[in-house]
Amino acid sequence: MSEVVKLQLIGLTIVGMGIVILLFVRAQFARVMGFVAIVLGLFSLVALAVPQMASLPPAEEKFDIATVKTPTDMAAIGQKIFFSKGQCALCHSIGPSESARCPDLKGIGAKLSREFIFESLTQPQAYIYLDYRHEGPPKEYPARMPYINKNPIGLTKNEILSVIAFLQQMSGEPISVNPSELEVPGQAPKAPVKAEDVAPVAVAHAR
Amino acid sequence: MRHQGGHLQRLLRALRRQGGWLPAWMFAAGLLAVPALGLAAEGTTGGPVEYRDIPGIGSRNIVWVIAQLHLLLAGFVLGVPIFAWLCEIVGWKSGEKRYDKLAKEFTKLLTSSYATTALFGGILLFLLIGFYPKLMNYLTDIFFPSFIFYCILFLLETATLYLYWYGWDAMQDGGKKTFHIFLGFLLNLFAFFIMIVPNSWATFQASPVVIAEGTDIQRAWAATWNPTWWPVNIHRLIANVVLGGYICGAYAGIRYLAARNAEERDHYDWMGYVGNFIGVFGLLPLPFAGYWLMREIYQYNQQMGITLMGGFLSWLFILQAMLIGVLFLGSNYYFWLGITHRIPGSEGQYKKPIMTMLVILLLCLGVWMTPHSLVASLEEARKMGGTHHPLLGVFGVMSAKMTVANLMILVTFMSFIMYWRAGKQETATWAKVARSVMGAVLVLAGIAVIVLGVWGYFVPAIIRINYFSTSQVLIVLFVMLTITPLTALLLKSARTTTEMVWGRMPPRAGYALVLNAVMVILLMTLMGYARSSSRVHWHVYGVMRDSSQYAFSPALGYAAAFMALNTFLFCMLVAFIFWVATMGDKGKAAHGASKGELPHGVPAMAGGAPHHMDQRS
Repeated sequence: MSEVVKLQLIGLTIVGMGIVILLFVRAQFARVMGFVAIVLGLFSLVALAVPQMASLPPAEEKFDIATVKTPTDMAAIGQKIFFSKGQCALCHSIGPSESARCPDLKGIGAKLSREFIFESLTQPQAYIYLDYRHEGPPKEYPARMPYINKNPIGLTKNEILSVIAFLQQMSGEPISVNPSELEVPGQAPKAPVKAEDVAPVAVAHAR
Repeated sequence: MRHQGGHLQRLLRALRRQGGWLPAWMFAAGLLAVPALGLAAEGTTGGPVEYRDIPGIGSRNIVWVIAQLHLLLAGFVLGVPIFAWLCEIVGWKSGEKRYDKLAKEFTKLLTSSYATTALFGGILLFLLIGFYPKLMNYLTDIFFPSFIFYCILFLLETATLYLYWYGWDAMQDGGKKTFHIFLGFLLNLFAFFIMIVPNSWATFQASPVVIAEGTDIQRAWAATWNPTWWPVNIHRLIANVVLGGYICGAYAGIRYLAARNAEERDHYDWMGYVGNFIGVFGLLPLPFAGYWLMREIYQYNQQMGITLMGGFLSWLFILQAMLIGVLFLGSNYYFWLGITHRIPGSEGQYKKPIMTMLVILLLCLGVWMTPHSLVASLEEARKMGGTHHPLLGVFGVMSAKMTVANLMILVTFMSFIMYWRAGKQETATWAKVARSVMGAVLVLAGIAVIVLGVWGYFVPAIIRINYFSTSQVLIVLFVMLTITPLTALLLKSARTTTEMVWGRMPPRAGYALVLNAVMVILLMTLMGYARSSSRVHWHVYGVMRDSSQYAFSPALGYAAAFMALNTFLFCMLVAFIFWVATMGDKGKAAHGASKGELPHGVPAMAGGAPHHMDQRS
């Protein structure tokens, strides 16, 4: 018997007890308690009738670098991160969606360079439009995109590179991220991807 | 070990001799629990203990129950002084002694409920230190200065409460009464600070502001003034007024149902009316405070907002809509019962408006409860062309929900105004103009709210949230702020055509009051779960991760079972507090009672035994 069924049976029992009290007991306080039991039992039954979703902590994708041989391996890990620890799918969709709140990422790997994607993930405030719809100097829109390399999401560099690999793969692009770029824990990075080092791909200050 | 065992056996024997079996068993159970605690300690290898657990029950479950009961009791002891103080002021200004009596009756509850709240607070603190030592060390490190401030506040609050309660009879006349009311103000002021200080600890966990530099006080202050602190403060302050009012109503409802004579029926009917009135008074602005809180959460961290409103907690808001809807219906129903039973001859006159309001409320509730995406099988989803129903999907979005929430507030407000005006005839020369103005304001406001709601579908979300939703709220507030004083002015010179008759309400009115209180308590438990779950797997969002085995939020069904349990336990606790506090009165009443009592074995069904009322009228 599943937990939901057990709880439903308890809820039904409580409602039944409440009905019995209201039907057969004369003492007013007991009758009120019977009424309260019915209300609480019904509430529980309604709550059990809606979709039961628990919020589990994100599964940590184990990066055993020795097993990551090809860019496709990285993309496979990146896909898992996209839908779990990275929480990307909370706002973004891949393909048109009514419920997506942020840009559709279908084909994004073909539209943007990997450096720009990396920068968008780690410095979301770097290139955003300015708001001129008021008197005085323009204001920056606060970035809606969170810093993906900082808490609460806190993806590591290896994880971010894997997500980029996934975005490129699902856009039909050749994956430009290579497993050799992955950082081995405890070793100095081989070739850090720094957003500041690369030329900006798009300057979006709308002046 | 044998030596130890011998000691224990001697101790158990001694306890058995002293006080019988019960203490001995309790002591033995306590001893048995100690190794369980030790066995369940979790920590990093060789490092300090981070978590402790009680296997089988679960540390999280225990903390859930105790923390929720503490919070509900705290809401009660902070809400009741507001309620009592307001009643005292009304009694003082109007000269009606019954308000003063009501205020005193509720202040009497404070002494016992205050001690019970502190008791649960103490238990909670010990449990938190025991179960979550790492987290508590971290919070102590940040908030230690506010801990001290909190202790001082408790001293001040306790001293003021003693003066306020024990000085009630001694401070009844002239300047002394003014001083007593000032004490009531101080009591509420300290209570407000007692509420907002722990709010800072809880809101810090959701929206932390951590600064590395500065003195202890600077760090504590930065952490205290976090983005969700004030929205939660205001939301809880109003919610406490609502809780206090509806619990007063429920108490009155129960006493009314059990009333044995006309005097009791009159008194508890009137008390139910006052409780419901104050509950509704707080309920009307409460959704606005909730809206502000959600807006701040979105601005602080969009992911957290989405987790709440669009993520795994989205169905929680459907349950919230259901509870709020029932609360609105219950409050209005009580008003309508009041109009039809307390004001003789008004049944026919108000039947149509009441039916209209009922239909509007039910339609609004239906829209509010419509989920954004439906639970559908793959085949059903294909037929619909997605998880969104082609027609119902339109009602599942915020624009529709904001609109109906505002309309429900408007309808409830109109119920209240209708009740206020019932049985009176306006005599002012400008009465006709005023009525036309009020009608026009109401109709225009309703249209404006709906137009903005529909328009909201066609503009970007940011425009809708920042301008349209805010305008809807301002429109409803404008209606309240214009119609209330206008009605008050109008009724100042009005002639009473039908006197309100107390004690005629049917028994279902008592149950409606109980239902309203249960709805408010359930709502508080539901939103407690939402607040805690919005942090997902973080103790302090983005700063300190929950690495215990309970770093998950259970599904709604499981959580609802706890909410129901906590609500029931709280109701029993409050019933116990009321019982203890009124024990002395019953004793006095039993000595002096002889007149007006009904024959034994024939409980007077409230409102159903008009015999005595007819004699009077």
